[in-house]
Amino acid sequence: MEYQKAAELNGLCNGKILTVDSKKVAVQHKNEISRKEAEDESRLPALEAAYTTILRGLGENTDRQGLLKTPLRAAKAMQFLTKGYHETIYDVLNDAIFDEDHEELVIVKDIDMFSLCEHHLVPFFGKVHIGYLPSKKVVGLSKLARIVEIYSRRLQVQERLTKQIAMAISEALQPVSVAVVIEAAHMCMVMRGVQKMNSRTVTSAMLGVFREDPKAREEFLALTKGAQ
Amino acid sequence: MERSKQKQMNQNENETDSVINGHFDGRMKIPGWSAGGAAGNPSTVPSSSVMESWREERTRSLEDNEMSLPSIAAAYTTILRGLGEDPQRQGLLKTPWRAATAMQFFTKGYQEKIIDVLNDAIFDEDHDEMVIVKDIDMFSMCEHHLVPIFGRVHIGYLPNKRVLGLSKLARIVEIYSRRLQVQERLTKQIAVAITEALQPAGVGVVIEATHMCMVMRGVQKMNSKTVTSTMLGVFREDPKTRDEFLTLIRS
Repeated sequence: MEYQKAAELNGLCNGKILTVDSKKVAVQHKNEISRKEAEDESRLPALEAAYTTILRGLGENTDRQGLLKTPLRAAKAMQFLTKGYHETIYDVLNDAIFDEDHEELVIVKDIDMFSLCEHHLVPFFGKVHIGYLPSKKVVGLSKLARIVEIYSRRLQVQERLTKQIAMAISEALQPVSVAVVIEAAHMCMVMRGVQKMNSRTVTSAMLGVFREDPKAREEFLALTKGAQ
Repeated sequence: MERSKQKQMNQNENETDSVINGHFDGRMKIPGWSAGGAAGNPSTVPSSSVMESWREERTRSLEDNEMSLPSIAAAYTTILRGLGEDPQRQGLLKTPWRAATAMQFFTKGYQEKIIDVLNDAIFDEDHDEMVIVKDIDMFSMCEHHLVPIFGRVHIGYLPNKRVLGLSKLARIVEIYSRRLQVQERLTKQIAVAITEALQPAGVGVVIEATHMCMVMRGVQKMNSKTVTSTMLGVFREDPKTRDEFLTLIRS
């Protein structure tokens, strides 16, 4: 049961219709269940045991000094890297939406993002650029970065991450349009497999006017490319 | 009294430590390769027990990998459940196997021995100027958090009638970095391996790396880099040689 909710949590964007026109309240934010911190503590022993098995399976000696506490540290590190399951958008955004008579582009760019590839459990990291055209409501700027944190600290696929961020902003603010661009390096491609050091993956999600009007999109892209 | 107790403690510690990665803590020295080597001075190699044996037994084989894959994959399934994810959802169905294979790849340094890689590529050349191979990309795993470390390795050595194939320096880096590592130990292992192979007049190794355990978690300092270096032989004693090496790797 729990697993299903977590799956919904991360799979929130699968099969959703992308529209910014709906005036419905962000009801599903209230329904998101967050992984509680006490749960984390109670799950630690199982994670530790799993990591000990992994270390032994790799041929290492788990009793040597450097590895003695590694299962515990690795388990805690993994829980930190997936702490996005703990948090809901509702908690983070609820207070920081303000009524402003501003209808020009607002961009927050170069937000450092660190996530875990759900296929190999290896990090991928890069920068997120977010832009939106407000419709009488603006959001506190750090909240955009917090939304990135919530969705990136999970087992992710870059395409889904981009979409989730765009959808969260569009549902919270009902802006005229939202654009999210993520440029990331995937360690699963750099450290193993094809081993292409300098490759970068770029994904974008454009909702509303950014999708329909090429000039608006151009403006956003020009402003995020400049002065890098 | 105290000193002999200390020595005994050290020995015991070294015995328990002398496994795969900590092999250089063991005291195996090969009869043919003396510490002084052709350079003739005892400080070519550090006097502490930092000697990696060339004749070490291979600790992992391809068959070992295959045999342990199911148990590692099962451990990853447990981890996915422990994090609250659903291992049955489409994106995660084969993740335990992929993650297990990836982890085995990241620790493939345990499968390889220096002696296999280097044995043929040592040549007699009458060259006694510095040879540097720099900007060797390095990827390793932090042994404390099992999170990647990546950066660049710069290696320089002063040959003493014997030179090494250049790519072999990069291969030495690969063997030692594809393990559960600590950056300090990695630097030293590379330097010691080159020293044992060639008996050069001196070796210098500098590693500059980013530790994801510091960047992605913990203190979360994005731009921090850790630099470690090991200077052996002439590089350690002669400041001018060291300067030349450090200048050349900066340029």
